[in-house]
Amino acid sequence: MPAVLARPPIRRPGATASASPAALALRRLRHDREALVFALLLALMLVALVGAPLYATLVAGTTPAENHLTDQVTVDGERVDVVSLDGIPIGPTWGREYFLGADENGRDLMVRLLYGARTSVLIGAGALALTVLVAVPLALAAGYFRGRADSLISRLLDLLWSFPALLLGFLFASAINLSGARIGPFTIEAGSKLIPVTVIGLVYVPYLARPLRGNALALREERFIEAARAAGMGAVRVMLSEMLPHLWTTILVLAPLLFANAVVLESALSFLGAGVQPPEPSFGTLIKAGLNDVVVSPHLLLAPSVALVLLVLSLSGVADGLRRALSPHRALGVDLVHGQ
Amino acid sequence: MISFAARRLSWALATAFVASIVAFLLFWTIPNVDPEYWLGGGPKGTNETRALAVEKYGLDDPLPVQYVRLMKAILNGDVKCFYGCGSLRSAFLEALPVTFWLVGGAALFAIATGVALALFSVRHRGRWQDRVITNLAAAAYSVPSLVLAAVLWAFAAYKWRLFPEGGYVGLTENPLQWFWHLLLPWIAASLPFTGAYVQVVRASLLEAMDEDWVRAARAKGLSEKRVIRRHVLRNGLIAPVNLWGLDFSHAFGGFALYVEVIFELPGVGLLTSETIGGLDLPPIIGMAIYLAIVVVLTGAIVDVIVAWLDPRVRGSGLAT
Repeated sequence: MPAVLARPPIRRPGATASASPAALALRRLRHDREALVFALLLALMLVALVGAPLYATLVAGTTPAENHLTDQVTVDGERVDVVSLDGIPIGPTWGREYFLGADENGRDLMVRLLYGARTSVLIGAGALALTVLVAVPLALAAGYFRGRADSLISRLLDLLWSFPALLLGFLFASAINLSGARIGPFTIEAGSKLIPVTVIGLVYVPYLARPLRGNALALREERFIEAARAAGMGAVRVMLSEMLPHLWTTILVLAPLLFANAVVLESALSFLGAGVQPPEPSFGTLIKAGLNDVVVSPHLLLAPSVALVLLVLSLSGVADGLRRALSPHRALGVDLVHGQ
Repeated sequence: MISFAARRLSWALATAFVASIVAFLLFWTIPNVDPEYWLGGGPKGTNETRALAVEKYGLDDPLPVQYVRLMKAILNGDVKCFYGCGSLRSAFLEALPVTFWLVGGAALFAIATGVALALFSVRHRGRWQDRVITNLAAAAYSVPSLVLAAVLWAFAAYKWRLFPEGGYVGLTENPLQWFWHLLLPWIAASLPFTGAYVQVVRASLLEAMDEDWVRAARAKGLSEKRVIRRHVLRNGLIAPVNLWGLDFSHAFGGFALYVEVIFELPGVGLLTSETIGGLDLPPIIGMAIYLAIVVVLTGAIVDVIVAWLDPRVRGSGLAT
């Protein structure tokens, strides 16, 4: 893959000669209405997730774990049971309490959805951070040292790449969930949320490291790297201060996609029982819980499904916008299919 | 061609071998999974059952000896499990055709609809049909198949009873019922891929349209249809077919897991999640290794087919 940024800055009508590539990209992004809509949607959702505890205490007046089996709620001036005598939970009230309805324990679905989405997004963000932290040094080392180091790293990545992310994650997570793990100084408790973070983060390393390695290899041939080496810069310094700044474009374009993939993988893992453990809400556990009550309470399945789709949609919309802004004349030759 | 196939298959076998070592180490040693504890009955175990387990499984032996013994057992199909289970290998081989049909059908569905829609889109490039299709494809790509499978099953099968609620009927038993049971799983599994392929194929076709030979074909007076079918499609499909191969060799350990759980299809995905749910160590490793073999072999076979279609691939490296 060719280096994305290793080319002269693009001159566009209206662009001044002195504008930096970042400023140009930002300008393109500002005029990209589609990307802005998705970014706004994403920002709204993130604000809602950050504000989840505020919503729970100030608006809904409950917590994600609190049961309200015998409570009543006022809908259109009438008092209605939250959970009817034959165990059917209330549907969406579109009011302050039980905005999206309740589940079979009388828990407020909107509160649970906000907290669940928060858990899923935090796991996705943690996993993405881990992926970047592992993939970038690997790609830099492969690109800088080339030869043996490169072929070792590439073989390793190919090996991980030849296995489906979900299967790897499922097996790793189940193994650790049996009784926790002790890897060197790190200890992970069974059932901890660090398990999905670690597993998802590691599983997606090749998806970032492979394109980055390509970039790094191409960068290594550039004259300025030669110049830096001739000036006596050490390997680590060349990698960090000369090569790394040129990799940010690829990282930035792939990050929202990887993030979406991580959230989807988390939901699949939790759905299969290897991620977040119920009663703790997350996209996966909520979808699983909603699956069997769909005849009387379709809201339990629809609410988390729609929320997850909106999150993935806005993330891929933002990713497309970033790609258009950062490399306007060629799509990155990388494709991800989520959850696989 | 044969040398490429041989290289590709030996790389696949090497991958499976490394995977088996990793699986063994992962489950046997790295997490503080204590085989003595788990094989000795888990929480229900006593000191005697644990001592028995050490003796029975030879847990005192050096790791390589244990590895070889376990792999022999797995490949012979007589994996021992403490809680008692049938032959894992025959269960796996019985489940394999179900998953094969699920994955194969979804793969065909995804590539056929993807290419057809992309072709339609390219014929109307720049017009509203093109925009509608590309936007719909982007939307379909953003619906995770987990969500799609859950919603389709819950509403179309469980609530409205338009489709069977679950289960599987063999192709030879009743082809119509076979199709009917697999239709929803196919749609759920393939739609996100269709969305992805429409975009990839469209981009790849548009790129192929700029090539000189396409201009030459037009210049010699071929009709647009013929140009697209004979000159654009052949070259435009190489990249998408590569991607398609990777996607669907991964599917055995990907969507098959939750699609089969949701639709109660008795394939390897359902078997895997039942095995893992059983918290029994040797069958979990056995399952991991069977799946690894299936995944790397399908990947290799797909690559060989792609190389047969496109001679340029043959000279390139081993992997991917």
